[in-house]
Amino acid sequence: MTLRYKRHPELRLSELEGEGVVLHLGTRRYFTLSESGLAMLEALAAPRSVDDLVQLLRGRYEVTAERAAEDVHEFLDRCREADLLVVDGEP
Amino acid sequence: MAEVAPGATTARVTLSPAAVTRLDTCARTFLTLVLIFLLRRVGWHHIHAATALDPAGRGWLIAGNAQAGKSTTTALLASRGWQVGTDDVAFLAPARERVAAVAYHAPLALRPAAYHLLGAPGGVFSPERRKIACWPEELGGRWVPRIHPDVLLFPSVGDGRTSAAPIRARDTLAELVRWSAWVMLEPDLAQEHLDLLTRLARQARSYRVTVGRDLFARPTRLAELVG
Repeated sequence: MTLRYKRHPELRLSELEGEGVVLHLGTRRYFTLSESGLAMLEALAAPRSVDDLVQLLRGRYEVTAERAAEDVHEFLDRCREADLLVVDGEP
Repeated sequence: MAEVAPGATTARVTLSPAAVTRLDTCARTFLTLVLIFLLRRVGWHHIHAATALDPAGRGWLIAGNAQAGKSTTTALLASRGWQVGTDDVAFLAPARERVAAVAYHAPLALRPAAYHLLGAPGGVFSPERRKIACWPEELGGRWVPRIHPDVLLFPSVGDGRTSAAPIRARDTLAELVRWSAWVMLEPDLAQEHLDLLTRLARQARSYRVTVGRDLFARPTRLAELVG
């Protein structure tokens, strides 16, 4: 089964000059986001698979599938560490 | 104790007899918290910051913690005839086109060392706070209740000369979140509050500033550094 991720419901996002800041109201921590990080976190308002996010990056940037996949995995790892994601379907 | 009905913009505050005997302390802490809580309901959001208006009419907002040099910097600017609003508590309010920073009239709280370096007349020493309370007018300035920030400073105190470095937009917003921390506390108001901080980050130029002792001799250096 393909895992699909969504952003945590307690996140609040804001965009500024293409980059962003995300607040986690649950942990009361905040993070800055690069342009691609903001794009992925915005997309994660709805459930997305790794492949969905790879496609998103390849649609926005001239980047190989391998490089996009690396970036997506790194981004998801960092988001998981900060509790910014939930796995779709999990309570 | 403060009682606030859901959705209300007024609070019923009951002070104990012991609290009444220390009304100044209560006003600075508990009643300020009540005010912050209520003003959020009308779209005004607290920020831990000083405010000032320079002679050219530009609004300045200086955000940081108690050791960042906000009060000293504000007092120095007042001593050079700038209008100042507050050295500590401001409220960000959505105006039609620009975000405003609003302050109530209160004395600036200076540490004894800064007060003596400033050579200011007047002031009242508070043993409890270990600070000297000086009104902006005693320092040669005027109080200004509302500014529209054109310049945001995030200061810290350093050993060298005063310096300033521009900050990129997303880092400015992160700093504003840090000093306007109520944004984290009420989920229903968080996005509105964050959007206001974002508007403020868009409207002003932002700098990280290291404040040195040279500022006492030349308070206008701040304005020179940011152009």
